Amino acid sequence: MEKNNRLNAKDLINVGIYTAICAVLCTAVAMTGVIPIMMVLLVVFVPIINGIPYMMFLTKVKKFGMITIMNVLLGAFMWLTGMSYYALVVGTITGLVAEFIYRSGDYKSKKLGIITYAVSGIYLWANYFGIFFNADAYFATRQNFGQDYIDSVTKLLPMWMCPVLLVVDIVCCIIGGWIGAKALKKHFEKAGIA
Amino acid sequence: MICFDNVSFKYSKEQECLKNINLTVNDGDVILVCGPSGCGKSTLVRCVNGLIPHFYQGELTGKVTVNGTDISQTTLRKISRHVGTVFQNPRSQFFNVDTTSELAFGCENFGLSPDDIEQRINKTVNRHDLESLMGRSIFKLSGGEKQKIACASIAVEPVDVIILDEPSANLDYKGICELQKMLKAWIEERKTILIAEHRISYLLPFITGSVLMNSGEIVKEYSAEEFRSLSEEELHNLGLRAEMVQDPAEINDCTGEDSDKKDKLILTDMKYSYQKEPPVFDIPKMEIPEGEIVGIVGANGAGKSTFLRCLCGMERKCKADPKVKYESWNNKARRRKIYMVMQDVNHQLFTDSVLEEVMISQESENKEEALKILESLDLKEFAGKHPLALSGGQKQRVAVASAIASGRDIILFDEPTSGLDYYHMNQVADILKELKQMGKTVIIVTHDVELIKNACTYIIRFDEYSRS
Amino acid sequence: MEYRLDRNVHSLLDPRTKLLLLLTSSIFVVGNAGEKQMYVFYWILVFLPVVLLFAEKEWKAGLIAIVIYIGSYYAQMALQHDLTAVESALALMLYIITKILPTVILARYIVKTTKVSEFLTAMNRLRFSDKFTIPISVIFRFFPTVVEESRAINDAMRMRGIEMGAKKASEAVEYRMIPLIASCSIIGEELSAAAMTRGLDVGKNRSCIWIIKFRIPDYLVITLCFACFVWWIIGRFFV
Repeated sequence: MEKNNRLNAKDLINVGIYTAICAVLCTAVAMTGVIPIMMVLLVVFVPIINGIPYMMFLTKVKKFGMITIMNVLLGAFMWLTGMSYYALVVGTITGLVAEFIYRSGDYKSKKLGIITYAVSGIYLWANYFGIFFNADAYFATRQNFGQDYIDSVTKLLPMWMCPVLLVVDIVCCIIGGWIGAKALKKHFEKAGIA
Repeated sequence: MICFDNVSFKYSKEQECLKNINLTVNDGDVILVCGPSGCGKSTLVRCVNGLIPHFYQGELTGKVTVNGTDISQTTLRKISRHVGTVFQNPRSQFFNVDTTSELAFGCENFGLSPDDIEQRINKTVNRHDLESLMGRSIFKLSGGEKQKIACASIAVEPVDVIILDEPSANLDYKGICELQKMLKAWIEERKTILIAEHRISYLLPFITGSVLMNSGEIVKEYSAEEFRSLSEEELHNLGLRAEMVQDPAEINDCTGEDSDKKDKLILTDMKYSYQKEPPVFDIPKMEIPEGEIVGIVGANGAGKSTFLRCLCGMERKCKADPKVKYESWNNKARRRKIYMVMQDVNHQLFTDSVLEEVMISQESENKEEALKILESLDLKEFAGKHPLALSGGQKQRVAVASAIASGRDIILFDEPTSGLDYYHMNQVADILKELKQMGKTVIIVTHDVELIKNACTYIIRFDEYSRS
Repeated sequence: MEYRLDRNVHSLLDPRTKLLLLLTSSIFVVGNAGEKQMYVFYWILVFLPVVLLFAEKEWKAGLIAIVIYIGSYYAQMALQHDLTAVESALALMLYIITKILPTVILARYIVKTTKVSEFLTAMNRLRFSDKFTIPISVIFRFFPTVVEESRAINDAMRMRGIEMGAKKASEAVEYRMIPLIASCSIIGEELSAAAMTRGLDVGKNRSCIWIIKFRIPDYLVITLCFACFVWWIIGRFFV
């Protein structure tokens, strides 16, 4: 019966709930980020794990704005927990783009849903900007790990890794989204709660 | 005044949940809407508080008016100024984290002045003796206390219609008495009250009339006198719970006949406490006869559920090794030998079909045996369905099926009948008896007097072990 | 005794001040902006959250936080030279703890001491839209629920003995995720229904029973935060 497209309390509560789930899962994965190699692999695991809740979230999205709000909140969460503010900036933009993509399918298409997830998930990649674009400042604060550590991280993340990570991020999001879509079909639709 | 004018409703595509409802509720009436599960009583009250059609979407025909306002033509926010609702599940109806803010929440949303709200809260708290509950975190309240706060937060609001949607489902004897007091106060204030419920005895003194529903239709309207004069058997035939309001600790008549001769599960020196607080319970020695249906009774918050969790080895901190046939079981062994059907069964259903659910519990997967178990529990037709798509009672039976499949001898139930109507309560009782027939030991934590009378063969009063 | 509501119940800081402090802390402690030049401010910002914990009478949590902080700080200092791979991983771990811990404590303090209604009103005064503040308050409210639910599910898996039985990693994840999301989505639905029957809506004026205003501690902390930014800008552009 809700004919207008204004966001109501139900929509915003849904945004809050799924943001909370994604943030909890993200934190659980990020705990492992203290090991240097895992730092890089965050971009692999987080999109895959978050695929299921995100695809479930998309089934609740029927109005413009919800995806962007979620991205802004997740970006702010990243910033406050010690990544960089790039995630917030990039997240806001990609969230908006993702919003348009999902809307073009009338908030129904699962294929577009996966693409939506891939686009909005780009904010994860933005977490690494600090290392690539501002390397001196980034390592200046980590001097006391010795040159070896800096070398090993720089070796792990040379400049050409930057676009590679973007591709990895998007591919993992697509995998995660695909798993999410499968879980929706296997469980939530069959159970009648999606 | 609430008016239903030829109202029909269906949630998308399903069969009709309400069919041609005509009903008038006058100001100051207290109307009980009753009937077995799935009869449409919750759907009916949702039409009054506006959740239908503004929240649950579907096909609504006919017209519902409250004080002359057509519900479908206004907004939920406007309706909420006149109609307040108390829901069934105390876990999910709070938006705030602290109780005081929760009381103020509705009035704040209406934009009433803070001074006005302050006065309303003072009045409600003093009237209902809630001082000890103020300023607490809702995560630290017991189910009964939460429901009290839910009622109080409606009492603070300036509403004149109050809807209660199965408010007693999670309440024990004491909680129900509190709910009665709250109802009495509302009646004094001449509120119009609509209650959807199938436990009815606690409401009988208050009602001015009753509506019986079945499969979406109003079957009969009773006056208060007519309804009160129905016998227990007649109520049961209508699918209603007839149990009197009674403290389960007062039941004396069902100690197992020959339980002395049976082997016993002996618990010694078992206690549990949260961090530094004094122990929730402290059991120097408890004997549980094997092969019986043992009911554990006690007040809400006495630590009964925690006791069950300790018993099946889920609480790492609880170090007690019960002796069974002279063999002592540590936490890990108990997790392998005891099965618990949780109060919220949703937490223990993992797979995408009922059959699969039973098979992962088996030592080695055996489809034929699994189907046999499902058949014995009337679940065979659902074998391919998703467990989460089933009704509450069916989910519980799936959990029992996997308990049987796991081959464990001791099965625990945490409040297996909360929110079930007479038919389904009986079904649970039958399952318990069947488990006893198989030689299993069944231990139930419950405050459902009818279930205890119906099924339990041995009773343990938990209050003696509880520190609260 | 008659009960009288005390509308002046509040934590040491106003929600707006808390947010400003969180922002400052995430820039200068976690983000390490300004480095050596910000030395004094850095240490103030590191220990301020513990002071806040003490103000809430959380003595034990505060002391534990100090011990962990000092412990990991000196441990990573001691590890500074000639690092092997393992040592450098350990050093990084400790380093991240020293960076994140103060902000984590601060965030926990904010979530624990800020009332939903207080937060909504304070943010409204800063002209933040409901569209952001309502989801944020739901996140506050929902974190404990998500943790509670996942614990219950984990327990159920252990009890049924399928945490080991899962054949593949994918199954282990699936068995945890599906009930969690199903259960959260049901709770969420009920929560929204309850909130909406109590008049919660977007873009409408709401009142607040709690008295929200800046008090002396707020002015002190706000001054500190502005001093941080000013000192940083001076160092960056004028020296």
